[in-house]
Amino acid sequence: MAVPTSPQGSVDVRPHRGRRIPLLRFDQPAFWFYAAIVVVTGWYAISRQNVFHHISPSGWVLSWALLIIYALPVFLAVYFLDLYEREPMSLVIASLVWGAVAATTLAGLADQGWGLVVARLGGPEFASRWTAALTAPWAEETLKVAGVVLICLIGPSRVDDMMDGFVFGAMCGLGFAVVEDVFYFIGVFGGTTSGVFEGFYVRVVSSGLYGHVMYTGLAGMGVAYFFARRGDTSLRRRVGVGVGLFVIAVAGHFLWNSPWLDLFPAATHGVGDWLLIPVAAAIKGLPLVAFVVVAVWLGRRRERRWLKAALSSEVDLPGISATELGILVDPAARKRSVRHMRTRAGDRAARLLKRLQREQVNLAMIRTRSPSDDDPDLVRQRKQCKSIRDALMAMPAAAPAGRPGGAISG
Amino acid sequence: MCGATPPADRRLRSCAVLPSLLVVVSILVVVFGGYVTAGALSESAGPPVAVGDVVRVPPLSGWEVARRFAGPLLGVRLTRGVGNLDVFAASFGGDATDLAHRYVSGSLEPNAVRLSVSPSTAAVRLRSGLEGVQLHYVGSFGGGQAPVEGEVTALVTASGTGVVFDAWAPQGLLQYVVDDTRTMIQDTVVS
Repeated sequence: MAVPTSPQGSVDVRPHRGRRIPLLRFDQPAFWFYAAIVVVTGWYAISRQNVFHHISPSGWVLSWALLIIYALPVFLAVYFLDLYEREPMSLVIASLVWGAVAATTLAGLADQGWGLVVARLGGPEFASRWTAALTAPWAEETLKVAGVVLICLIGPSRVDDMMDGFVFGAMCGLGFAVVEDVFYFIGVFGGTTSGVFEGFYVRVVSSGLYGHVMYTGLAGMGVAYFFARRGDTSLRRRVGVGVGLFVIAVAGHFLWNSPWLDLFPAATHGVGDWLLIPVAAAIKGLPLVAFVVVAVWLGRRRERRWLKAALSSEVDLPGISATELGILVDPAARKRSVRHMRTRAGDRAARLLKRLQREQVNLAMIRTRSPSDDDPDLVRQRKQCKSIRDALMAMPAAAPAGRPGGAISG
Repeated sequence: MCGATPPADRRLRSCAVLPSLLVVVSILVVVFGGYVTAGALSESAGPPVAVGDVVRVPPLSGWEVARRFAGPLLGVRLTRGVGNLDVFAASFGGDATDLAHRYVSGSLEPNAVRLSVSPSTAAVRLRSGLEGVQLHYVGSFGGGQAPVEGEVTALVTASGTGVVFDAWAPQGLLQYVVDDTRTMIQDTVVS
């Protein structure tokens, strides 16, 4: 496909979207199950928000305002965590909506039902101490991860690495956490201005790092492992890793909800009690955070290895050079190259270089899916990359003299 | 295994449906399994406990008679841990709402250090068809004791027998026994 290039070096290169799988896959049964559950539970979720709004209109608005301030940076951090291949926004939003609407509503019912079982078997004293630990972790994690599985079934080809599952899972957990926090701010902390701020301090400032985003991110990695490793890993191992990560997520949630290691003050009487809250939260939450950080680091390392392997056979073909590949697989070098390009040749050149790098990542994805070296999609993507590079090289100061391919090295 | 042998379309479609269906079934089990299990566990254990000749309360497993009240107001206390269900029976001339308020003013208030009672009553209907009213209270009874929350159910039969059920527990714990007490009240036979 010829890509028109203007004399000024600007290029009309649209991102390749042919392989993107949007949410609206009407041919997938998973889509219809997802949609039906979200619509049915959405009705209840909206009515519940109406109740909260009725109880405390200003508290409800303040709750959402504070939680959006918290959720937005978390959303962006999770979304941009996947360095090489960002997930389609429709599936990311679908994960968030599942967590906020379907999972919270279903979890409310499930927690109550299994709470009856704990009370029946253990008696009231036991139930008062242990219901939260014995019901919510497995019930809520199952219901959240069910949404991640449905989303993976809607767009199975989007799930090619564990990081994809982390993004979907963490988004689902974020949606869940925000709606649950609104419930706590109004229902438990009273919905007054001071109550909402108190709830925000306890549940978000002190504990926001440790909750549902981590649990479901981890469980989502297990789901993604199961989906992404089809064909190259045994079913037993895929199930083992998937279930193992789910169990670790449930265990982290269990520890958080249990009376074990509970150093939270029973009431806050002074500054010391307020300061104790984040310390108590850290004691319960940091072990899982450390585990998730390591898992994400390993996931990103594996993603880098995958990118290198996928593009190794493309080196010195029109799509990518060896120098470009060396920079592409190193996130710091990528950023540096764009920065240098901006300094040397301006914003437009830097944007074009970013575009080239993104299309080279797409080239890797198409490479792994293509059955042959001359697959039409693959050939088209190589030309796409080449035309962007040519446009970049045509820009003044973008390519240093005597350095073929030096444009992208910045 | 999902194969491509004829009829491929149908097989592929069923392959696509099956995982989604498993997810939905898992969701249903998690959401409703607790209620089913709790229902199965809520079996009556032992013979019904009689209050006078007119009231028979079938205790659920784990509940036992802790005390009997004699005198003009016949009664029994069933206990499970910190959860309690007091059942009283006596002749009564008014309706269920009168009986509920009479119980509050005659039995709860004189013993309470502090007492808050729900301003209105809610209608309840027993499995036997008897209708009554329900109200809630929170209060402290006696020095040094933890605050108590309770749910009072009162009903009056056509023959003029008034029955009061007072399900109570330390504040915050009633939620863990109230399902049991409601089940026992629902299954109570008043002759």
